[in-house]
Amino acid sequence: MTAAHIDRVNTVLGPIAPEELGFVAIHEHIGYGMPGSELDTQWWKTPEQRYEETVPKLRTFHENTLPWGGATFVDATGICNGRDIDYYQSLSAKTGVHIVASTGFVGGDTALAFFERASVDYLYRQFVHEITVGIGRTGGKAGIIKVGVSRGFKMKELDLRIYRAAARAALETGVPIFTHLAVDAEPAVEIFAEEGLPLHRVLFGHADDGVSQGKVRDRWIAEQGGRIGFDTFGYDLELPDPPFWGRPRQERLEHFLGYLRDGLTDSVLASADANCSPLGWPGVKGHTINYLFDTLFPALRDNGVDDATINRIFVELPADFLTLQPQN
Amino acid sequence: MTATTVNTVLGPVSGAELGIVAVRETLLSVLPGAQYGYDIDIDRARVFRAIAEKLNAFRAAGGGTVVDAGGMFAGRDVPLYEAVSRATGVHIVASSGQMEEGMLGGYFLTPQTNPPTPWPTAKFAALYAAEVTEGMVVPRVERRGAAGLISTATTPDGMTATDESQLRGCARAALDTGVALALRAGNDPMAELAVAVEEQLAADRVAVSNVGESAADIAAAGAFVVFTDVHAAVAFAYDGNATRTLLATGGAALTFGHEAAPASYAGLIEAVPAELRHQLLVANPAALLAAKEA
Ligand SMILES: [Zn+2]
Repeated sequence: MTAAHIDRVNTVLGPIAPEELGFVAIHEHIGYGMPGSELDTQWWKTPEQRYEETVPKLRTFHENTLPWGGATFVDATGICNGRDIDYYQSLSAKTGVHIVASTGFVGGDTALAFFERASVDYLYRQFVHEITVGIGRTGGKAGIIKVGVSRGFKMKELDLRIYRAAARAALETGVPIFTHLAVDAEPAVEIFAEEGLPLHRVLFGHADDGVSQGKVRDRWIAEQGGRIGFDTFGYDLELPDPPFWGRPRQERLEHFLGYLRDGLTDSVLASADANCSPLGWPGVKGHTINYLFDTLFPALRDNGVDDATINRIFVELPADFLTLQPQN
Repeated sequence: MTATTVNTVLGPVSGAELGIVAVRETLLSVLPGAQYGYDIDIDRARVFRAIAEKLNAFRAAGGGTVVDAGGMFAGRDVPLYEAVSRATGVHIVASSGQMEEGMLGGYFLTPQTNPPTPWPTAKFAALYAAEVTEGMVVPRVERRGAAGLISTATTPDGMTATDESQLRGCARAALDTGVALALRAGNDPMAELAVAVEEQLAADRVAVSNVGESAADIAAAGAFVVFTDVHAAVAFAYDGNATRTLLATGGAALTFGHEAAPASYAGLIEAVPAELRHQLLVANPAALLAAKEA
């Protein structure tokens, strides 16, 4: 058996067996900022402050996940959005939480000029390098590819170029693709079909957010075999200062429960999309990854969702999804 | 800051101390994002040596100051510039501002608001003015020495709404802090200069490059014209515009992610006729760079 045939998931500290992942928060951020926000001192935090805001949340996450064994945090921050691999490595090493990092871009409008000018082939090579060789000089390898729809709910030419490059890199390396937004999915589905990437290797993210409702054809995506991201749990309009993508808590929950009632549990993945310590925006006060344990799980249990289903959504399905599945 | 000081990366110096100036250059030029390119290796030791060699040659030829007009988001490395200035004895003036819309990050173009409205003039003005009054940023780490120039550009195909907003912000920052404005023009240099002047910035506080056929009009309006062709600069100076003429290599000491001609700062000195050297390479740059009372 060669190394390539051993099931593995890329974390920032190296590959691990899928069985080690334990509980997986599939779409989170250590810290996210729009490209260029690093120039504006209004958002700066000292390293002391960043660790102080981040470590306790990861520690609580770790404690919350003990019943499942391991704790895995998938960071869905794109290349130009403040992604900071050696920082993630230190957080992972010091807290014991597995961290999976991304290559790719949150959307074409977060790709800086150098990548905006790049060909599909260059973008593909960028992604493959970050998955198989490493990111910058850190040695950490990406475990997922992030792609997304630029602001305006419509795929732009650069978005499409990134999706195509991501499809090719995903086929070759076996990592899954995460999309930012599930709107305007038809061109995405078409690109993945053209490139021969099975849709179960794609998580169509933020299908549950407030601003996407009425624009997202999530049941159609699920019928095509795509995975549906209920990954903005906790961005509730009931919060004191909710973001524009927020949604009434009960409405999101009902949307999610609909999938479980209809036997579509295997089509969903769920997460909170929270920032431990936001980089270029104020963040959303009171929202952390631990919403999953504090608020979501009690609500699911109140609605009759059993532990096996929770286990399915937060352990088994993500382990399958994150395991490298190269097509050749 | 008095009326005759210039902000260098090692602190303010008197305008008279600048000596021969390479006035609109780019030392380290990194196309935004190229620092993340998988096949781009920005070896800081190599960057330092490449810049130091050019500055040493410049100094040996009589040069005194190089102005890095690349702005704050295209490779500017303030600690490295400080070290290379100390090592070579050449003053380095670094700039705030950013280039045309296509060079900006999403933070300025599609902020996390609904709708994602590009930055207004006042925010650009405050961001860039603070780099003069509080120091230039090393992103998410610290502020260091003051910027000595605000530098911007407009899109080659024509000024966009965001270019205009940013240009106005740069003009306001220049006006508020007293440093000069460098503008790399798009396709209508006179209209673009007029935008800066509308913000009450005096035309003689602006150096316009990429002027095409508009050199005489730009000079007549009172701004400086930056040439990258020595023959054109000399001819323009002899044509009654000596006090409005500036000269740049048009290249960069080192580039990543895009191509630019390699710059020779020493070559600038040799190329200018001896009788014009003081005016074009000393007096005009000093007049531009010497901060005005804000
Ligand atoms: Zn996210």
